[in-house]
Amino acid sequence: MELTGITSYLAISIVLFLAGLLTVVSKKNIIGIFMGIELILNSAALNFAAFSRLTARNLEGQMVSLFVIVLAAAEAAIALALLLAIYKRYRDINADHLTTLKW
Amino acid sequence: MNIGLKELVFLCVALLTTVPCLIVVFSRNVLYSAFALFFTFLGTSGLYFFLDAEFLAIVQVVVYIGGVSVLLLFAILLTKNVDEIRKTNMTSAPRMALAGGAALVLLGSFVYALLGTHWARTGTPDYPATTTKGLGDLLLSKYLLPFEAASVLLLAVLVGSLVIARRSVR
Repeated sequence: MELTGITSYLAISIVLFLAGLLTVVSKKNIIGIFMGIELILNSAALNFAAFSRLTARNLEGQMVSLFVIVLAAAEAAIALALLLAIYKRYRDINADHLTTLKW
Repeated sequence: MNIGLKELVFLCVALLTTVPCLIVVFSRNVLYSAFALFFTFLGTSGLYFFLDAEFLAIVQVVVYIGGVSVLLLFAILLTKNVDEIRKTNMTSAPRMALAGGAALVLLGSFVYALLGTHWARTGTPDYPATTTKGLGDLLLSKYLLPFEAASVLLLAVLVGSLVIARRSVR
């Protein structure tokens, strides 16, 4: 077993994913939750690239990583625009306080 | 397992990726979380270089560090009072306990799956020396439709975010 093998990349990916999961569930600030989503997407893209290089040995996985990065950027722009709109209206970005749509 | 220079650099890059993650989770200051996220993105870019995916590494630097991180910092700047920045990224304790339990279960199952699986090399043995040309060829042949869909999506995002975030004009 070598250090730069597939297992190391998968382990790093696990750490990124679990950190993202903890962040998404536990943070109160919407910006914090958004950072968790970015971490999860990052770990998925890293997994695709690692499998593409080390087991499948072609470029298809890297292609998926590329699209994941593009979608993450699009999601970031929309999420932050929504965040600014929410802040303008309620002067608050605590996710627990935004309960207008909740019964 | 012999540790050469390559392994040492890999270890440093792996630590650069994983340690700031924990700061993102546990920091109470949203600005520290944002800068830690910056280092995680940088480390991921380094890992892409280790995977011989140089185009992906550059895209990661340009899109995540140049785009998403800066956008995040602007969002922090535009939404919160800087004088109470020390406690802007609080965690909710009951949900943290719940998520911690779920994360431990997931960690156990992931490690079990990771150690119990033999990852065979299934594809062709000829990995291309430079990936940029191959990626360009794939984008304009097999993945042309997703490529065009992504361009339409980005246009929609451009217009949509402007519409959502603009100042309302009476």
